[in-house]
Amino acid sequence: MRRPFLDTTEFYDIDAGDEIHVGDRIFRVTGYEHERRFGSEDPKFWVKRVIDTSTNERKIIKLAFFERFTTILGGVKIHCFRSPDKESRVMELTRGNPFFMQGVTLRDSKNNNLRVIDVVRGTNLHVYLDNLLMDHQVYFYTVFPGVLSRLITSFEALKLLHDEGIRHGDIRNDHLIIEGATGNYVWIDFDYDFDTPENPFSLDLFGLGNILLYTAGKGFHELNMIRDDTDRYGNLAQSFSAEDFSIMYKSRFMNLKKIFPYIPETLNNILLHFTWGAELYYEHIDEIIDDLRRVTIH
Amino acid sequence: MANSILVPINDSMTSKALIDFLVKLSVCPEDASFTLIHVFRQPTSGEELMGKKFMAEQPIRFKAELEKAKDRLVEEGGFDPERIDIQLLTDPYPSVTEGIIDCFKKGRYDMVVIGRKKMSKSEEFVRGDISIKLVRALDHTSVLVVTA
Repeated sequence: MRRPFLDTTEFYDIDAGDEIHVGDRIFRVTGYEHERRFGSEDPKFWVKRVIDTSTNERKIIKLAFFERFTTILGGVKIHCFRSPDKESRVMELTRGNPFFMQGVTLRDSKNNNLRVIDVVRGTNLHVYLDNLLMDHQVYFYTVFPGVLSRLITSFEALKLLHDEGIRHGDIRNDHLIIEGATGNYVWIDFDYDFDTPENPFSLDLFGLGNILLYTAGKGFHELNMIRDDTDRYGNLAQSFSAEDFSIMYKSRFMNLKKIFPYIPETLNNILLHFTWGAELYYEHIDEIIDDLRRVTIH
Repeated sequence: MANSILVPINDSMTSKALIDFLVKLSVCPEDASFTLIHVFRQPTSGEELMGKKFMAEQPIRFKAELEKAKDRLVEEGGFDPERIDIQLLTDPYPSVTEGIIDCFKKGRYDMVVIGRKKMSKSEEFVRGDISIKLVRALDHTSVLVVTA
C-alpha cells in the first residue's frame, strides 16, 4: 500500500513504495541512499531515491536532518552540523552552473526543507581513479594532465561559493562526480558545515588538498603501505620524516616527489602546504588556484 | 614620543597574560595611550545553542572584562586612566580578525598588541591564527604578539 506523506519530519518511517506529496507534486519513494566509503555502506535514511510521478524522472530527495556532532581531526575538535538551508542556498546560487548538482527546494506541510535533486549520472573521482589500471608514471603523463585541468575548473567553480562566504562543507574525492555525458567534474552534497570562524574555509581547503593528493598520487599512500611494500616504495621508509605527512592525518604521506621524482616542484609545493612541515598554509581558494595554474607537466 | 596602542582582548587566559605583560612593560606611562577593545563575532551555530539570554549577557560580561583590564593598567602599570579608552564592538564581525583590522583602520594607532595561545600546527591550520593574520594584513604598523 502506498502511504502518502505530506509531513516528512519522521523520515525514518518513509520507505520504498511510499509517496511524498509536496504541493501538487508526488514523488514515489524507491529506496534510500547509502554512504559508500572504505568498502562499507551506511544507510542515509534522510536521502530518498524517488520517481517524480509527473515526469517519471529519477530524483534524489534530501529530507531535513539536523545532525550535529563534534569530530576530532588531527587532534582538533571541530563542531560539525548539517544545514539543509545552506544546501538550498548553494543550489540557488549555482543554478544552471554545470559544475554543481542541480535541484530545487520545496517545503512540505510542516515547512520542512526538501531538496529535490537531479541525479548526476557518472562516476565519482574516487572510483574513477581506483579503476585505472596503469603504472603511476604512465598515468601521470597521460591521464593526470586532463584530470588536473578539470580539477582547476572545478576549484574555480567552488570559488563562487567561497566568494559568497559559503563553504562546501564536505569536500572529498567521492563528492566530485565525473559526469558521463560531459566529462564535467560536478560537486555534490553541500549540507554539511562546520564552525571555524577565524579560518572559515580551512577544512574546505584541506579537502581540496586531499583531492589533489589523491589525483596526483593516483591514490593515497599511507605509512603502513610505505613500510610494508618495499617493492613499490623502495627504502622510502628510511628516508621520510614526520614533516612529509599530512598535517591532519598523520599517516598520510604528502611529499609525493619522494615517491615519484618526476612530479614537478610546482605541484609538489602545493601539496607541501598541507604537511606537518608546512610553515605557511593556504587561507583562500584563490591561492591554490593561482598555484595550480603554474603547474605544467611535460 | 607618544604611542597609541590598540589592544584586543577577551576573557581568556591569553588576554590575562597580555595585560600582565603590559603592566610590566617599561614605557613612559604618560606617553602611552591604550584602546582596549573587545570584538563581537557573528555567533557560530554552537554559540547560538547557548540561548538568547546567554547571548544577551555577553556585552555586559565583556564590558566588565575591559574595565577590569583598564583598572589593572592604571593600578599596577601606573598608566593614566584618561589615556585608556575602552570600546566594545558589539556590531558583530564575521571574524575577530576582521573586527580588529576594521577598528585599526578607523583609528590612529602605532601598534597592535595581541595575545596568542600556544597551538598545535593542526589547530593553527584549522582554526587559524589571528596574530599571523594581523601581521599579514597590517603591513604598515607594528604587531606585538604576546605568547601565553
